[in-house]
Amino acid sequence: MVLLLQVLVSGVLLGGLYALMALGLALVWGVLNIVNLSHGALIMLGAYATWFLYTGAHIDPFAALPIAAASLFALGYIIQRGILNLVIRGPMFNTLLITFGIEVILTYLAQLWFSADFRTINPSYAGSNHALGGLTVPYVQALAFAIDSVLTTAMWMFLLRTRTGRGIRAASQNLVAARLYGVDPKRIYALTFGLGAALAGVAGGLYGTVSQINPYIGGPLTAKSFVIAIIGGLDNPLGVIAGGLFLGVVESLTALYVGPTYRDVASFGMLVLILIARPGGLLGRTA
Amino acid sequence: MENILEASGLTKRFHGLVAVHDVSVQLRRGEILGLIGPNGAGKTTLVDMVNGTLEPNAGDLVFEGRSVRGLPAYRRAHLGIGRTFQIMKPFPGMSVLENASIGALFGTNGGERSIGRAREQARECLAFVGLGRRIAQRADALGGPDRKRLELARALAMRPRLLLLDEVMAGLNHVEIEEVIEDIKKVRDQGISILVIEHVMKAITSLSDRVFVLHHGEKIVEGSCGEVLRDPRVVEAYLGRRRR
Amino acid sequence: MKRAGAAQRLPEPPEGEPGARGAATRAARRTALALAVAALAALPWIGNTVLVQFGISVLLLATLAQGWNIIGGYTGYPSFGNSVFYGLGAYGVAIAMVQYELPFWVGMLLGLGLGVAFAGLLGLAVLRLKGHHFAICTLGLALVMTAIVSNLEIAGGNIGLVLPLLRSEVLFYELALGLAVLATLTVLWLSRSRFGLGLIAIRENEEGAAVMGVNTTFYKVIAFMLSAAFTALAGGIYAYHITYIDPVGVFDVVLNVKMIIMAVFGGPGSVLGPVVGALILSATAEVLAARLTGAASLFFGIVIVVAVVFMPRGIAHLVRHIGPAGWRYFIDNVRTHRL
Ligand SMILES: Nc1ncnc2c1ncn2[C@@H]1O[C@H](COP(=O)(O)OP(=O)(O)O)[C@@H](O)[C@H]1O
Ligand SMILES: [Mg+2]
Repeated sequence: MVLLLQVLVSGVLLGGLYALMALGLALVWGVLNIVNLSHGALIMLGAYATWFLYTGAHIDPFAALPIAAASLFALGYIIQRGILNLVIRGPMFNTLLITFGIEVILTYLAQLWFSADFRTINPSYAGSNHALGGLTVPYVQALAFAIDSVLTTAMWMFLLRTRTGRGIRAASQNLVAARLYGVDPKRIYALTFGLGAALAGVAGGLYGTVSQINPYIGGPLTAKSFVIAIIGGLDNPLGVIAGGLFLGVVESLTALYVGPTYRDVASFGMLVLILIARPGGLLGRTA
Repeated sequence: MENILEASGLTKRFHGLVAVHDVSVQLRRGEILGLIGPNGAGKTTLVDMVNGTLEPNAGDLVFEGRSVRGLPAYRRAHLGIGRTFQIMKPFPGMSVLENASIGALFGTNGGERSIGRAREQARECLAFVGLGRRIAQRADALGGPDRKRLELARALAMRPRLLLLDEVMAGLNHVEIEEVIEDIKKVRDQGISILVIEHVMKAITSLSDRVFVLHHGEKIVEGSCGEVLRDPRVVEAYLGRRRR
Repeated sequence: MKRAGAAQRLPEPPEGEPGARGAATRAARRTALALAVAALAALPWIGNTVLVQFGISVLLLATLAQGWNIIGGYTGYPSFGNSVFYGLGAYGVAIAMVQYELPFWVGMLLGLGLGVAFAGLLGLAVLRLKGHHFAICTLGLALVMTAIVSNLEIAGGNIGLVLPLLRSEVLFYELALGLAVLATLTVLWLSRSRFGLGLIAIRENEEGAAVMGVNTTFYKVIAFMLSAAFTALAGGIYAYHITYIDPVGVFDVVLNVKMIIMAVFGGPGSVLGPVVGALILSATAEVLAARLTGAASLFFGIVIVVAVVFMPRGIAHLVRHIGPAGWRYFIDNVRTHRL
């Protein structure tokens, strides 16, 4: 029983991180209708940015997160403005391909700068945890979870309450109408993609504090982000949180009861089954 | 006279909205039946259910003596039900000729097996609707009226026994409307039964053997043109809408 | 309207006489192609081992690109899961030869059967999805298969299987050539048959196609199975040639992207485009890998980005339409697709 609870706790903590990873992907997908295959690579870069600031400049990883987010925002803005805006009205698989090309380039550059070795971000408090009844709650994971929740909520508020946020939502509904409404699509698209990249950057930094990183972690993370976006739908960030938690718990349970090697079967199998059974996503609109 | 199509009690709901409610209608072989009603009355939805684009929630549909309810759209096309779409659905990257050839290749009875003959048939239909000079153009390069003509030619190329026309005259000018009216008469003279949805009253009056009226998804009257257009409920359906 | 491929032409020009000139050029083209195939078949006796090795890899990739072309280019369903068929083909051969000591051709049949059956069964479910959903669902399938096969004992689990060694590059080369030619002839047939036109109609407007009498489900599933057949056979040849396979290697998701890039680069929905795409991209990658070891993947990424931006409709379209416009062709492409 305690074991099950412990697995659930880890699952939820992992799920919070997954949710944050997926949030940026869902945002870009929902607004720009681009499924960004380089999303995982952006997460990877966020992790390296945090690692670099921590080992190179001795900045605490959690303090480094805003810097990672800002750099990734700039990178994302440039990618959208300079490349993706040029092809966005083309056939769908062209946007898939081009983001894949970007992923290849980013992975190569990461490997060039940071080498292919595994890296870890290990602040002094890394191993410590809090005992709660019979359960252990690792501090770092709990903090990461808290940041996920805050950011996801902030994102939601931003989209609902601010002028730019409303512009983004208008652009996702109808570009022509958005134009009339005074939104410059080029800028809004670049902003949205930049925002998605910044979220990926934070997610990457947090991922780096709980897991090893290397330049090739991007692909599977993109795939997991998909799964979550599909489960949660693209309508609102709350669906994405639910999707992330769900996936985290399912993966942890599968690892415990079926075997750790079946983790990916569970998550990707779920993706396929959900798509086939509920093409609209479990919780809302997905495309 | 024998009925080619008998719909009874057709109902279609979209979530909460009842788009078509308990509509029964018969179409006689060789006749032109006019279907009118204000926007949103459920006309397109009714046609969708007849050709299989949508499945009704209730009711039955008998075409040439057999129930076609539950049959997929392509099977109904093979049986001889052809239609045009109000919101046109051409194959944008194909040429005009290819567009119509698909109808000839796959339409009634599964269509022609030979591409050559299908293309001949398509060319005839295109010439018939006045697109003879445009057959080499891409469909997405056509202007509005020509797209309407293509929509009609594609349906004709299927060699249908029942033709459902959903506002093929919308957006055409007077001269063009006259032409299409003549075309539809000729089609009927070939023995094809026709259901025509139209807002252009002149077309309805000069084409229809009978007319029926949908309003808020329900059939309110059915009868000869003159009777129907004088019916107070019809006048109210239209004027009531205009006043809003 | 988002469409998969370039405009598709019917075999003959719609107007004008199908007279002597058309027939003559067609005969000339056919002869040229036959000669090209004959020259390719003779390559092992002219070229060196390196060239033959390269040839095998290009021909297998061309087959994959052509296989993808059937479902992605003609039917408009951008599969990201064709690596599943490749993997099943490879494992069919490996399991038959290693676990049951059966001959190679039996393994090929097993792989073919597995791939086609899988495509048939899954196609029914998956081909109801459209656009991104279809792409992602097939990608998910590819990932699931990798994970499942990694856990299968008969497939050697994570470690994979080692096949018997056959030192006959010529045989592998001719097999790969035969398969690539067969795939291309199939696509040629698609481009001028009723069946192929049905697929194109589905790509251009699925609902319209159904209403005009195309049995869309059946057509899509058959196209998926055809695509799977060629992909599985290529996987089988690959397995025997490379003599060692593991799940991550043959169910490689990147392979999906490669075949798509080759097909899209060459021209999706065209007959020779995917082959040309496979040749050009492999040759460039080969040359670059030799010149600047390591940076090959960077180059690969850049080629994808540049190609998608400047020639989104592929080489086949480029060759046919660049004409007098020259470099303006590229600018126009950007103009039509940018925001
Ligand atoms: N796919 C759909 N989903 C939800 N509502 C629909 C759909 N199609 C039509 N409707 C609704 O059904 C009603 C009837 O529409 P329609 O048949 O198109 O009317 P008409 O062709 O007479 O103008 C309208 O209120 C319309 O909004
Ligand atoms: Mg209508």
